[in-house]
Amino acid sequence: MQHHLILRVVTKLLCGAIILYAFYVQFHGDYSPGGGFQAGVIMAVAFIAYGVVFGLDAVQKVLPAWVVHKLAALGVLVYSMTGVVSLFLGYAFLDYGAFSPHHPSHGQHWGILAVELGVGITVTGVMVTIYYAFASRIPRITDEEW
Amino acid sequence: MMFAVAIIALFISMVLVLVRLFGGPTLYDRVLAVNSFGTYTVLFIGVLGFLNERPDFLDIALLYALINFVGTIAILKYFRYRKIGDMSPLARKEETGL
Repeated sequence: MQHHLILRVVTKLLCGAIILYAFYVQFHGDYSPGGGFQAGVIMAVAFIAYGVVFGLDAVQKVLPAWVVHKLAALGVLVYSMTGVVSLFLGYAFLDYGAFSPHHPSHGQHWGILAVELGVGITVTGVMVTIYYAFASRIPRITDEEW
Repeated sequence: MMFAVAIIALFISMVLVLVRLFGGPTLYDRVLAVNSFGTYTVLFIGVLGFLNERPDFLDIALLYALINFVGTIAILKYFRYRKIGDMSPLARKEETGL
Protein backbone atom coordinates (compact mmCIF):
# COMPACT_ATOMS: atom_id res chain seq x y z
CA MET A 1 0.00 0.00 0.00
CA GLN A 2 3.00 2.32 -0.44
CA HIS A 3 1.61 4.08 -3.52
CA HIS A 4 -1.91 4.78 -2.33
CA LEU A 5 -1.31 8.32 -1.12
CA ILE A 6 -4.96 9.40 -0.88
CA LEU A 7 -5.87 6.27 1.06
CA ARG A 8 -3.04 6.79 3.52
CA VAL A 9 -3.84 10.47 4.15
CA VAL A 10 -7.59 9.86 4.48
CA THR A 11 -7.07 6.97 6.87
CA LYS A 12 -4.65 8.99 8.97
CA LEU A 13 -7.23 11.77 9.29
CA LEU A 14 -10.13 9.42 9.85
CA CYS A 15 -8.61 7.27 12.63
CA GLY A 16 -8.88 10.01 15.25
CA ALA A 17 -12.43 10.85 14.24
CA ILE A 18 -13.45 7.20 14.47
CA ILE A 19 -12.01 6.92 17.98
CA LEU A 20 -13.80 10.11 19.02
CA TYR A 21 -17.04 8.71 17.62
CA ALA A 22 -16.46 5.48 19.56
CA PHE A 23 -16.18 7.46 22.80
CA TYR A 24 -19.36 9.38 21.89
CA VAL A 25 -21.26 6.15 21.35
CA GLN A 26 -19.81 4.72 24.56
CA PHE A 27 -20.61 7.55 26.93
CA HIS A 28 -23.73 8.95 25.27
CA GLY A 29 -25.23 5.47 24.86
CA ASP A 30 -27.74 6.12 27.64
CA TYR A 31 -29.55 8.79 25.64
CA SER A 32 -29.03 7.80 22.01
CA PRO A 33 -28.57 4.56 20.07
CA GLY A 34 -25.37 2.86 21.15
CA GLY A 35 -23.69 1.23 24.09
CA GLY A 36 -20.66 -0.78 25.00
CA PHE A 37 -20.71 -3.35 22.22
CA GLN A 38 -21.18 -0.83 19.43
CA ALA A 39 -18.54 1.48 20.87
CA GLY A 40 -16.10 -1.42 21.12
CA VAL A 41 -16.66 -2.35 17.50
CA ILE A 42 -16.17 1.25 16.33
CA MET A 43 -12.98 1.55 18.38
CA ALA A 44 -11.72 -1.68 16.83
CA VAL A 45 -12.59 -0.37 13.35
CA ALA A 46 -10.16 2.51 13.87
CA PHE A 47 -7.30 0.09 14.54
CA ILE A 48 -8.37 -2.28 11.77
CA ALA A 49 -8.43 0.56 9.23
CA TYR A 50 -4.96 1.63 10.36
CA GLY A 51 -3.73 -1.94 10.08
CA VAL A 52 -5.25 -2.50 6.65
CA VAL A 53 -3.67 0.62 5.18
CA PHE A 54 -0.34 0.84 7.00
CA GLY A 55 0.34 -2.85 7.58
CA LEU A 56 0.26 -5.18 10.53
CA ASP A 57 3.64 -4.11 11.90
CA ALA A 58 2.61 -0.46 12.13
CA VAL A 59 -0.59 -1.16 14.02
CA GLN A 60 1.14 -3.64 16.34
CA LYS A 61 3.59 -0.89 17.26
CA VAL A 62 0.61 1.10 18.51
CA LEU A 63 -1.32 -1.79 20.03
CA PRO A 64 0.82 -4.93 20.55
CA ALA A 65 -0.92 -8.29 20.50
CA TRP A 66 -0.24 -9.00 24.18
CA VAL A 67 -1.88 -5.69 25.17
CA VAL A 68 -4.96 -6.60 23.14
CA HIS A 69 -5.23 -9.97 24.85
CA LYS A 70 -4.96 -8.30 28.27
CA LEU A 71 -7.62 -5.76 27.25
CA ALA A 72 -10.05 -8.51 26.32
CA ALA A 73 -9.69 -9.96 29.81
CA LEU A 74 -9.64 -6.56 31.56
CA GLY A 75 -13.12 -5.68 30.28
CA VAL A 76 -14.61 -8.86 31.74
CA LEU A 77 -12.80 -8.05 35.00
CA VAL A 78 -14.34 -4.54 35.09
CA TYR A 79 -17.79 -6.01 34.43
CA SER A 80 -17.58 -8.67 37.13
CA MET A 81 -15.85 -6.37 39.64
CA THR A 82 -18.82 -3.99 39.37
CA GLY A 83 -20.98 -6.87 40.50
CA VAL A 84 -18.58 -7.88 43.27
CA VAL A 85 -18.37 -4.30 44.60
CA SER A 86 -22.15 -4.10 44.84
CA LEU A 87 -22.02 -7.51 46.56
CA PHE A 88 -19.61 -6.14 49.20
CA LEU A 89 -21.82 -3.08 49.72
CA GLY A 90 -24.55 -5.42 50.91
CA TYR A 91 -26.70 -5.60 47.79
CA ALA A 92 -27.29 -8.34 45.25
CA PHE A 93 -24.78 -9.09 42.46
CA LEU A 94 -24.89 -6.27 39.87
CA ASP A 95 -27.55 -4.38 41.84
CA TYR A 96 -26.62 -0.88 40.74
CA GLY A 97 -28.62 0.75 43.50
CA ALA A 98 -25.66 0.00 45.78
CA PHE A 99 -23.53 2.79 44.36
CA SER A 100 -25.81 5.56 45.57
CA PRO A 101 -28.12 4.26 48.29
CA HIS A 102 -30.12 7.50 48.64
CA HIS A 103 -30.65 7.98 44.90
CA PRO A 104 -31.02 4.52 43.31
CA SER A 105 -31.42 6.05 39.85
CA HIS A 106 -28.03 7.79 40.16
CA GLY A 107 -26.49 4.53 41.31
CA GLN A 108 -27.96 2.76 38.30
CA HIS A 109 -26.49 5.43 36.06
CA TRP A 110 -22.98 4.87 37.44
CA GLY A 111 -23.35 1.10 37.47
CA ILE A 112 -24.48 0.91 33.86
CA LEU A 113 -21.65 3.26 32.86
CA ALA A 114 -19.07 0.96 34.50
CA VAL A 115 -20.55 -2.20 33.02
CA GLU A 116 -20.75 -0.69 29.53
CA LEU A 117 -17.12 0.41 29.85
CA GLY A 118 -16.18 -3.20 30.59
CA VAL A 119 -18.17 -4.44 27.61
CA GLY A 120 -16.56 -1.84 25.34
CA ILE A 121 -13.00 -2.74 26.39
CA THR A 122 -13.64 -6.45 25.90
CA VAL A 123 -15.24 -6.03 22.49
CA THR A 124 -12.36 -3.81 21.33
CA GLY A 125 -9.86 -6.42 22.44
CA VAL A 126 -11.66 -9.35 20.87
CA MET A 127 -12.33 -7.61 17.53
CA VAL A 128 -8.72 -6.47 17.18
CA THR A 129 -7.56 -9.97 18.16
CA ILE A 130 -9.71 -11.47 15.40
CA TYR A 131 -8.20 -9.01 12.92
CA TYR A 132 -4.67 -9.86 14.05
CA ALA A 133 -5.40 -13.57 13.75
CA PHE A 134 -6.68 -13.15 10.17
CA ALA A 135 -4.03 -10.69 9.09
CA SER A 136 -1.00 -12.58 10.37
CA ARG A 137 -2.04 -15.68 8.42
CA ILE A 138 0.30 -16.68 5.58
CA PRO A 139 -1.69 -16.62 2.30
CA ARG A 140 -1.79 -19.92 0.43
CA ILE A 141 -3.39 -18.67 -2.79
CA THR A 142 -0.90 -17.51 -5.38
CA ASP A 143 -1.25 -14.43 -7.53
CA GLU A 144 -1.70 -16.45 -10.73
CA GLU A 145 -5.15 -17.46 -9.56
CA TRP A 146 -6.23 -13.85 -9.51
CA MET B 1 -45.00 12.60 1.91
CA MET B 2 -41.67 13.88 0.64
CA PHE B 3 -39.79 11.34 2.76
CA ALA B 4 -42.08 8.52 1.57
CA VAL B 5 -41.34 9.34 -2.08
CA ALA B 6 -37.61 9.53 -1.31
CA ILE B 7 -37.62 6.19 0.47
CA ILE B 8 -39.43 4.48 -2.42
CA ALA B 9 -36.90 5.93 -4.88
CA LEU B 10 -34.05 4.69 -2.67
CA PHE B 11 -35.63 1.24 -2.48
CA ILE B 12 -35.86 1.00 -6.28
CA SER B 13 -32.23 2.11 -6.58
CA MET B 14 -31.16 -0.54 -4.07
CA VAL B 15 -32.92 -3.24 -6.07
CA LEU B 16 -31.12 -2.08 -9.24
CA VAL B 17 -27.77 -2.17 -7.39
CA LEU B 18 -28.56 -5.70 -6.20
CA VAL B 19 -29.12 -6.74 -9.83
CA ARG B 20 -25.63 -5.45 -10.66
CA LEU B 21 -24.24 -7.19 -7.56
CA PHE B 22 -25.51 -10.62 -8.55
CA GLY B 23 -25.04 -10.26 -12.31
CA GLY B 24 -21.80 -8.27 -12.38
CA PRO B 25 -19.37 -9.87 -14.82
CA THR B 26 -16.17 -8.81 -13.01
CA LEU B 27 -15.08 -8.56 -9.41
CA TYR B 28 -14.89 -4.76 -9.55
CA ASP B 29 -18.52 -4.47 -10.60
CA ARG B 30 -19.45 -6.44 -7.52
CA VAL B 31 -17.23 -4.40 -5.21
CA LEU B 32 -18.66 -1.18 -6.63
CA ALA B 33 -22.17 -2.58 -6.20
CA VAL B 34 -21.49 -3.49 -2.55
CA ASN B 35 -20.05 -0.03 -1.94
CA SER B 36 -22.98 1.81 -3.49
CA PHE B 37 -25.42 -0.49 -1.72
CA GLY B 38 -23.77 0.63 1.51
CA THR B 39 -24.17 4.27 0.50
CA TYR B 40 -27.83 3.69 -0.29
CA THR B 41 -28.21 2.02 3.09
CA VAL B 42 -26.80 5.12 4.78
CA LEU B 43 -29.31 7.31 2.93
CA PHE B 44 -32.10 4.82 3.63
CA ILE B 45 -31.42 4.86 7.37
CA GLY B 46 -31.30 8.64 7.37
CA VAL B 47 -34.58 9.06 5.51
CA LEU B 48 -36.21 6.34 7.63
CA GLY B 49 -35.17 8.23 10.76
CA PHE B 50 -36.83 11.43 9.56
CA LEU B 51 -39.88 9.47 8.39
CA ASN B 52 -40.33 8.01 11.87
CA GLU B 53 -39.43 11.38 13.45
CA ARG B 54 -36.42 9.85 15.18
CA PRO B 55 -33.38 11.82 13.96
CA ASP B 56 -31.24 9.69 16.32
CA PHE B 57 -30.98 7.35 13.37
CA LEU B 58 -28.42 9.71 11.85
CA ASP B 59 -25.86 8.34 14.34
CA ILE B 60 -26.40 4.86 12.96
CA ALA B 61 -26.16 6.17 9.39
CA LEU B 62 -22.83 7.84 10.17
CA LEU B 63 -21.51 4.62 11.69
CA TYR B 64 -22.65 2.65 8.66
CA ALA B 65 -20.77 5.03 6.36
CA LEU B 66 -17.55 4.47 8.36
CA ILE B 67 -17.87 0.68 8.38
CA ASN B 68 -18.68 0.70 4.66
CA PHE B 69 -15.52 2.69 3.88
CA VAL B 70 -13.25 0.43 5.92
CA GLY B 71 -14.93 -2.72 4.63
CA THR B 72 -14.49 -1.73 1.00
CA ILE B 73 -10.80 -0.95 1.53
CA ALA B 74 -10.32 -4.31 3.25
CA ILE B 75 -12.06 -6.23 0.44
CA LEU B 76 -10.09 -4.44 -2.27
CA LYS B 77 -6.82 -4.95 -0.44
CA TYR B 78 -7.56 -8.62 0.03
CA PHE B 79 -8.24 -9.18 -3.66
CA ARG B 80 -5.22 -7.13 -4.76
CA TYR B 81 -2.62 -8.44 -2.31
CA ARG B 82 -4.32 -11.63 -1.04
CA LYS B 83 -3.48 -10.48 2.47
CA ILE B 84 -5.22 -7.95 4.67
CA GLY B 85 -2.30 -7.63 7.08
CA ASP B 86 0.70 -6.49 5.16
CA MET B 87 1.82 -6.18 1.60
CA SER B 88 2.83 -9.62 0.32
CA PRO B 89 6.46 -9.84 -0.95
CA LEU B 90 5.36 -10.80 -4.46
CA ALA B 91 3.00 -7.86 -4.83
CA ARG B 92 5.58 -5.50 -3.37
CA LYS B 93 8.07 -6.62 -5.98
CA GLU B 94 5.50 -6.07 -8.72
CA GLU B 95 4.67 -2.58 -7.53
CA THR B 96 7.93 -1.12 -6.34
CA GLY B 97 10.60 -3.42 -7.74
CA LEU B 98 12.22 -3.73 -4.30
